[in-house]
Amino acid sequence: MTLRRIPMQYSMQSTSQLFSRGAHQALRVSLFGLALAAVTSTASAMSPGGDLVIEAGRIITQAGGEITDGVIVIRDGRIEAIGAADEVERPWDLNVVGGPEFTAYPGFVEAHTSGGMDRANESIDVAPFLNIRDSIDPVSFFFEDVLRNGITTLGVHQGNNCVIGARGMVVRPVGRTVEELMVIGEFGLKLSAAPKSGSSRATQAQALRVAFDDLKSYLEDSVGERRYDGDKAKREALYQGRELDEEESKGRAMGGTAWKVDGLELIPRGELDVKQRPLLELVEGNYAAFIYCGAPMDVHLALEIARDNGFLHRTTLVLDNSCWKAADIIAEAGVSVVLDSAMTHIERDPYTGKEIETVVPRVFADRGVRFALSSNNASSQSLWYQAALANGLGIERSAALDAVTVIPAEILGLGDRVGSLQVGFDGNVVLSSGDPLSTTSWVEAVVVEGEQVYDRKTDARNQHLFEGQTPPVGKQSSMSQGSTGNRR
Amino acid sequence: MKNMILSLALFGTAAGVVSANDDDGTSWVVLADQVYTADGEVYEGGFVAVADGKITGVGPGGGSGGSELDVFAVTPGLIDLGVRITEDPDVLEQSTETSITMRVAHGLDLFDLAWDRELRSGVTTVLASAPDNNVIGGLSVAIKTGGEPTLEARTVKADAVLRGSFGTQPSQGNQQSRGVPQNFYVRRPTTRMGVEWEFRKAFYDTIAAGRFPERAFEGSDVLKRVLDGDLPLSVQAWTTQDIRTAIYLKEEFKLPSMFVDAAAEAWKEPELLVRSGMGVVLPPFSFDGRVGREGAFFAWNTAKMLSDLEVPFALSGHGARNASERLAYQPGLAMRGGLSLEAALEAVTIAPARMIGIDDRVGSLEVGKDADLVLWSGPPFQPTSRVIGVMLDGHLVLDPRETNE
Repeated sequence: MTLRRIPMQYSMQSTSQLFSRGAHQALRVSLFGLALAAVTSTASAMSPGGDLVIEAGRIITQAGGEITDGVIVIRDGRIEAIGAADEVERPWDLNVVGGPEFTAYPGFVEAHTSGGMDRANESIDVAPFLNIRDSIDPVSFFFEDVLRNGITTLGVHQGNNCVIGARGMVVRPVGRTVEELMVIGEFGLKLSAAPKSGSSRATQAQALRVAFDDLKSYLEDSVGERRYDGDKAKREALYQGRELDEEESKGRAMGGTAWKVDGLELIPRGELDVKQRPLLELVEGNYAAFIYCGAPMDVHLALEIARDNGFLHRTTLVLDNSCWKAADIIAEAGVSVVLDSAMTHIERDPYTGKEIETVVPRVFADRGVRFALSSNNASSQSLWYQAALANGLGIERSAALDAVTVIPAEILGLGDRVGSLQVGFDGNVVLSSGDPLSTTSWVEAVVVEGEQVYDRKTDARNQHLFEGQTPPVGKQSSMSQGSTGNRR
Repeated sequence: MKNMILSLALFGTAAGVVSANDDDGTSWVVLADQVYTADGEVYEGGFVAVADGKITGVGPGGGSGGSELDVFAVTPGLIDLGVRITEDPDVLEQSTETSITMRVAHGLDLFDLAWDRELRSGVTTVLASAPDNNVIGGLSVAIKTGGEPTLEARTVKADAVLRGSFGTQPSQGNQQSRGVPQNFYVRRPTTRMGVEWEFRKAFYDTIAAGRFPERAFEGSDVLKRVLDGDLPLSVQAWTTQDIRTAIYLKEEFKLPSMFVDAAAEAWKEPELLVRSGMGVVLPPFSFDGRVGREGAFFAWNTAKMLSDLEVPFALSGHGARNASERLAYQPGLAMRGGLSLEAALEAVTIAPARMIGIDDRVGSLEVGKDADLVLWSGPPFQPTSRVIGVMLDGHLVLDPRETNE
């Protein structure tokens, strides 16, 4: 069975297969008839990751300080040692990249983007049974652009135009297949508290509430049927042709904190409707939620839905820049936020005619809210530039860097793997010609999981953008081939 | 909360520019770690003294004689030759393709908030031109972005340049006659060639009017001044073919003073550009190199290349709505393309001032010039720095003591 493309009608067989495995379980994947067994949650498990020694005149670790004349040793894709050159033993048999002229820092992390997707939004209002895996285009220029700007981890999520959207995915911008890109195959469910186009805010709120009410009544009905009638869910499962493997054939009591349906343990999990299960996972606290708020008023709804259904602790708010006005209740709720790429909110007072500019990151910083920044585009206003702007707008340098490294890493559940350079972390390192926040610095090389995946010297497209060279004769079609020469 | 809100009063009060902290409003001493004069000098630890709207002293060390402001860096007020504040269609004259004598100044809404946005972001003087839907759009005005909201008070130079446009924009929407008798609704030109022809016709008619006074027409006196070099000609030319057209036109009519605006593809034929002696105004940089309605390719090292070739050039923000795309951020992107800080500074101050002949009043920190200053929180043009203060004609319109918390 092929999982790479799920047919348009969302074949129950294939979707059930998708749901039958959690994010950290093996996915059975076959591509072009070739079975690649046991693809686990990390791409590095498929390709074991590289071994490399990185040298840099300056290492910004994002884990408590900088190292002058430092060395990073990466084995099997993970950092084995990091420290000053005279303190770290360098294995004699490994390749070395970098040198004293470089500044090294952890690859940037973009917590929330819809870049690289074929289409960011789905026309169905409530579609948590979809997975953006089926929408990601691995050879999109987007991934090439973010890589040359030093982003090595991205949370890709459905766009904001939804009620309950698809499940997201954490990827690295390296590879030609979705499986190669994958860091976490299933991460986070997208919801929107702002009205989907064509809806009013009241309709949106109602649709969100009803989705969870429907889940509850579905679960109650199923349990009731099981208790009194026996096998409705089973019949349905049989009818849909689902075969339950070991884990799926077990029932278990409903988890979560907000509300529970007693007796759920009577029903094998695999028999539950695939359209309802992602929401159940959310209520049980097994999924992260990314809730978009397009206006301050939406924040109330977002927090209400998350609280009432017990996933507030797994919630990240994706905010329009006007939402600084709801900063107090966001701080009180203790959730992290992903900020809009426009960091200054401009508003005109209709009576006085005055324009008021608010520096949004400062509002959240002042209240102790953990925030991640967003790229404004994949190239010249990538995360490094946004962090620099935030710093210019009055955010401490360390906080601005955290907002594009450690905080988005935590939001993506990878706080112990990416976002900083520490022993045991993924070997995701950027080598830059200078300070990451300077306009005259360029990303010279990028290492992802111990493999050098970008080299500015061989980046023909960057040279074209930079110098406007006409591509060499015979290679003129390179712009239209949709593949890249510098990405392995 | 007060730290985060920079509010600026709308112009329109009797005092014109309103400042919350104007002290006596006339005398200032700006002390800065770095003073960039834009006339070749950079003082590490210097001052700018201001009295009665003019610069009264610049130099290393300290100064005295006014309210003190202490900032990291000070530069001259920025000058944007490509600003688009009044793009309203009703500012464009539709009855002719060569509205030579029209003055865009008479169509400007000085109460538009866009002026204030430009001013707050550090742009103190702009060249306002008619929208580029006519072949010759009319006379542009060099004007301050703030001050008492009257043309008299704000104008730096009336009729600063004559504005024209190449490319497809002037012919856009024009229809061929297709058998219908010529009438108002059948417009010419309809092609690039037609646009160029309108230009050349206007100049040939002017030359003819010089020989035969009875052939004088409305605007021939203006074009005569362009031919004589008394009035600079500014033409919009995004792509390389339009830049060529401009160069050939300049050479054909021996136009002494001319520059191309929005010349994204100026990097493509540098020899021609150098030969022509023409100035260049660059559009804002874009993330993928594509700019303008025709998708011209704007290489990131263009500014550096022009600087190396000693072609006079200016950067522009083209009235970007997004705060981070305005003029103050363009030099940083030009520096990313290899331009030096000094050259980047000149490209947004003294260079544009020279191109339209207002460098006697603005464009550098020199005694006697207008006290238009930009005050910075860090090294100018780095994204980690921002404009924390703006002074216009000696009035503090953005106060660093309120913004630099």
